[in-house]
Amino acid sequence: MIMGIANDRIGGKLHRKQLKRQAGRDAMTASSDELPAQDITVLLVEDDPPTLWRLQDALAKAGFDAVAAATLADARASLAQRTPRVLLTDLQLPDGHGVDLIRETRQRFPETEIMVISILGDEESVISAITVGATGYLLKDAFPTDIASTVRDLVAGQSPISASIARFIVRRTQANAEPPPGPPLNTTRLTPREIDILWGIAKGFSYAEIAGHLGLSRQTVPGHIKSIYRKLEVHTRGEAVFEALQQGLIKL
Amino acid sequence: MTETAAKPASSRGQSLRSRNFVSRLIQYVLLQALIVIVCIVALRHPLAEPPSRTLVTAFSLKDRDAERSVTLPDFVASRLSMNDPALYRGSFNWTSGEAHGAWSVYLPRFTNGVEIIVNGIEILDSRRDPAANRPDRATPEIAVIPASLLRDGPNDLVIKLYVWGPVSGFLDRLYIGPDEVLRPYYEKRTLVFVTLPMVFSAWQGILAVILIVLWAVRRHEPAYGALAAAMALGAIQALLPTAVDQTAHPEFNATVIASSGPLESGFVLAFAILFFGRKWPRYGPLIFLPGVLLVLVGLFGNPEMLRQAFVVLGLPGLGLNLVLLALVVAWSELRRQDVPSLLLGCAVTIVLTCWVHDMLSVLQIIPDHRVFFTGLSRSAMLVAIGAGLTWRFARALNRVDGFAAHLVIQLREAEEKLKASFAREEVRARAVALARERARLMRDLHDGLGGQLVSIVALSERGEGGAGVGDAARAALKDLRLVIDSMDDIGGDLMLALGSWRDRATAQLRPHGIALDWRATPPGLPVHPELRPWHVIQIVRILDEAVTNAVKHAEARRITVSIETLSDSSSSGCGCITVEDDGKGFPLASGGAAAVERQAARGLRNMRSRAARCGAAFELISGAGGTSVRLTLPRRFPDGDAVAG
Repeated sequence: MIMGIANDRIGGKLHRKQLKRQAGRDAMTASSDELPAQDITVLLVEDDPPTLWRLQDALAKAGFDAVAAATLADARASLAQRTPRVLLTDLQLPDGHGVDLIRETRQRFPETEIMVISILGDEESVISAITVGATGYLLKDAFPTDIASTVRDLVAGQSPISASIARFIVRRTQANAEPPPGPPLNTTRLTPREIDILWGIAKGFSYAEIAGHLGLSRQTVPGHIKSIYRKLEVHTRGEAVFEALQQGLIKL
Repeated sequence: MTETAAKPASSRGQSLRSRNFVSRLIQYVLLQALIVIVCIVALRHPLAEPPSRTLVTAFSLKDRDAERSVTLPDFVASRLSMNDPALYRGSFNWTSGEAHGAWSVYLPRFTNGVEIIVNGIEILDSRRDPAANRPDRATPEIAVIPASLLRDGPNDLVIKLYVWGPVSGFLDRLYIGPDEVLRPYYEKRTLVFVTLPMVFSAWQGILAVILIVLWAVRRHEPAYGALAAAMALGAIQALLPTAVDQTAHPEFNATVIASSGPLESGFVLAFAILFFGRKWPRYGPLIFLPGVLLVLVGLFGNPEMLRQAFVVLGLPGLGLNLVLLALVVAWSELRRQDVPSLLLGCAVTIVLTCWVHDMLSVLQIIPDHRVFFTGLSRSAMLVAIGAGLTWRFARALNRVDGFAAHLVIQLREAEEKLKASFAREEVRARAVALARERARLMRDLHDGLGGQLVSIVALSERGEGGAGVGDAARAALKDLRLVIDSMDDIGGDLMLALGSWRDRATAQLRPHGIALDWRATPPGLPVHPELRPWHVIQIVRILDEAVTNAVKHAEARRITVSIETLSDSSSSGCGCITVEDDGKGFPLASGGAAAVERQAARGLRNMRSRAARCGAAFELISGAGGTSVRLTLPRRFPDGDAVAG
C-alpha cells in the first residue's frame, strides 16, 4: 500500500513535469512562427574547425544565434554563462565525450533541445546520445538549408527520427535469445502503438501514412516520437545501473 | 629379411606355447590322478559295521534244487524268473533272560529282493519298498522281530533272495541283535544311500527347470537344452518305481530306467561339446545310439531282453560317454583354463572312477560289499554343473558391467571428440564467414567509396575545386553510409533498408528542388529470410543510380518511388520497386557520342548487371514523358555471394 502511494506520488510528479513541458512546448510551437531566429540561441560543440565553420555559417545564415565551442571545457563555460535553447554537439571531443555534456545539460537545463552531430548517423553514437537525453542527430555533411530547418523543427517541438534509428530501436523490441550487438537500449517501456509508429518510420512511411494506417491524427505522431525519445532516456546513473541489471548487462 | 626374422620368433612362440601346454597337461593329469586316488581310498574305506557278536554268517543255501552250506556274503547267479528265490537257511540264539529290548534283523545290502522269515513267520518283504527295488541303490533293510516269535535258544531264520537280472544276486552279511544296537547303522546307511540320492534328485529337478528356462530364453544356445534334457531325465528316472512294483506302466518305467544312464550321459556329453565351443561332430548323434537302442528294445522287446541289452549296451555306453566327456572337458580345460571346465573335469573323474569300481564290482572282480557308487557320484557332477554355471553367470554379469562402463567411457570420449570437432568447425565457419564478409566489404568500398575518393583526388589535382569535389565527397559519404547501413540486421525485410534509403534520397534531392513521392502500398514487400547485405547494396545502388540519372540528366521535377507486391496465382507474390521521373528521358541507344550519353549508358549497364546478380528483373522505359526503372525482385534471392564480383 505504501509502495502504491509512493508510486502514485512519483507518477504524479512525472505527470506534472510532463504537463509543464508540454505546456512550454505548446507555447513555443504557438509562438515559433513569430519567434525570430536570432532569439534562438544554439550552442555548437565541434572540434573540427572546417566542420564547425560550415555548421556555424549555415545557422548564422538562417539567423540563429550560434555560439561555438571546440572542447568540452569551452562548452561547459559557455553553458555556465548562458543557457542555450539548442545544443548541437559532436561526441568525440579532445577533452572528453559528448555524452557527458548531453547528460549534464539534460539534467541542468531540461528546456534545452539537444542533438548529436554525427558523420554517419550510426547507431553506436546516436543511440548512446539518445539514452542520455539527445533527440535525434544531424549529419555533418547535411545541406545548410537542412541544418537550419532541422534546428527550426526541433525548436518547434518536432523530434526528428531517422529510419535507421527507428529500425535499430524496433529490432531491439523483438524478442531475441541473446542481446544483439550495439549499445544497450531498454525498449520495455515503449507501448505497442509507439512500436507500430517506429515500424512505420523504419519502413520509410511518412507521418501522414503512419497516422492513416494506425488511425491517428497526423499531428499526434510527433508527440509520440517525443515520448519515445523520453522513454529511451536513462535519467540517472542509478537508473542506468538498474536498467543494466534488468537487461542482464551487469551481473552482481 | 622380415620373414626370416619372423620365423624364429613364431617358432619360439610355438615352442613356448607347446611347452606351456605340456606343463598344463601334466598338472591336469596329476590333479585327476590325485582325485582318482582319493576316490579309491574313499571307496575302499570300509563302511561302519555293527558289532560282530550280532553277525550271522553261517547258512545253508538251497538254490535250484542244489543245497550247500555258505558263509555270507554270497552271490547267486542271475536268473530270469522272479519267482525262483534262493533260500538261505540259518539260525540264531536268543535268550529271554538277557534281552530287554526288541530284536531286529538288519540287512545292510542285498540284490535284488529279500523275504525274511523267522520261525516260519515272514517279518519283511523288501519288494514292497520301492527304494529297495533299485539294484543301483544300496538300500538297507531292518525288521523288528516280534517278541512273540522269539524262542529261548536257537531260532530259525530263512531268507528268500529274489533275483531279477541283469546283475547276479547278492546277500551281504546280516546282523541279528538288539534293535537299539543295529538301528543306528541302518539309519546311517539309509541317510547315505537313500535320503542323499533323493535330495540330489530333487536338486537335479530344480537344475532341470532352471536350465529349461535358460534354454527357452536363449534358444541359440542348444548346450543348455542338452543339459536340461540330461537333468530332467536324471530327475525323472530317480522317481520312477521299478518293474516289480505295482505300477501302471512297468515296461515304460523299466525302459526309462534302463536307458536313462546312457542317454543322460550322452546329453551331458553333448552339452560339454557345445558348451566348450567345439564344433558339433558329424558322428555326434552316435553318442545317443546305446540309449536309443535300449529304448527300442524296451518298447518292442520283453523285460528280459531289456535287461540283457542294458548289460550289453547301457553300462558300456555310459562308460564310453564318460570317457569321451573326460576327454572333451580335459581338452577344454587345457585350451581355456576356465573354472567350469576344471570343475566338470574333476567331477567326471570322480564319476568315472566310481563307474570303474561298480563295473569291477558287478563283474565280481574285486571282493566287496557290492555297493554301487555311480549313481551317488552323480552329485559331484551336479555340484560341478551348478557351480560352473553360476561362475559363468557371475562373470557374464561382470562383463556386462564392464561393457556398460566401457560404453559410458567411449560415449564420453566420442562426445568430447564431437564437441571439439564442432567447436573447430564453428571456428572455421566463423573464419570463413568473416573472410567472406571482409571480401564483400572490400568490394563494396572499392565499388563506391574508393572510386569517389579517387575522383576527388583527381579533381583537386586539376584545381577544379568547388562543386565537383563537393559532389564526389558527398557521394562518397553517402556510399559509406550505405555500406554501413547494409551491414545492419534487417531480418530479411527489404522495407527497412528502403526506409533508410528514403531518408538519404530525400536529403540528396532537397537542394535540387526535386520532390520524392513515396508510394508504398501495404504490406510493402515480402520478407526474404535469405536476403543478404550484398543483395541490399545491389538493390539500393540500382535505386541510387536511377535517382542520380533523374537528377543529372533528366531534369526531372518529381521522382516517384512505388513499392508493391505483385500478387499472382501463387500464394507469395514478388516484390516490385519502380522509380519514375517526369524528366525528358534519354535515348536508350548507346551510339551517341556525347559524354552524358556515355555515362548514362554505363550507368544503365551497371544497373542491369546488379539486377542480374540479385536475380531481379530489370526493366527501363525512357521516353519524352520521363524514365521508369522497374525492378521486379525474385521469389528467392540467389546465394552466390562468392561469384558476385
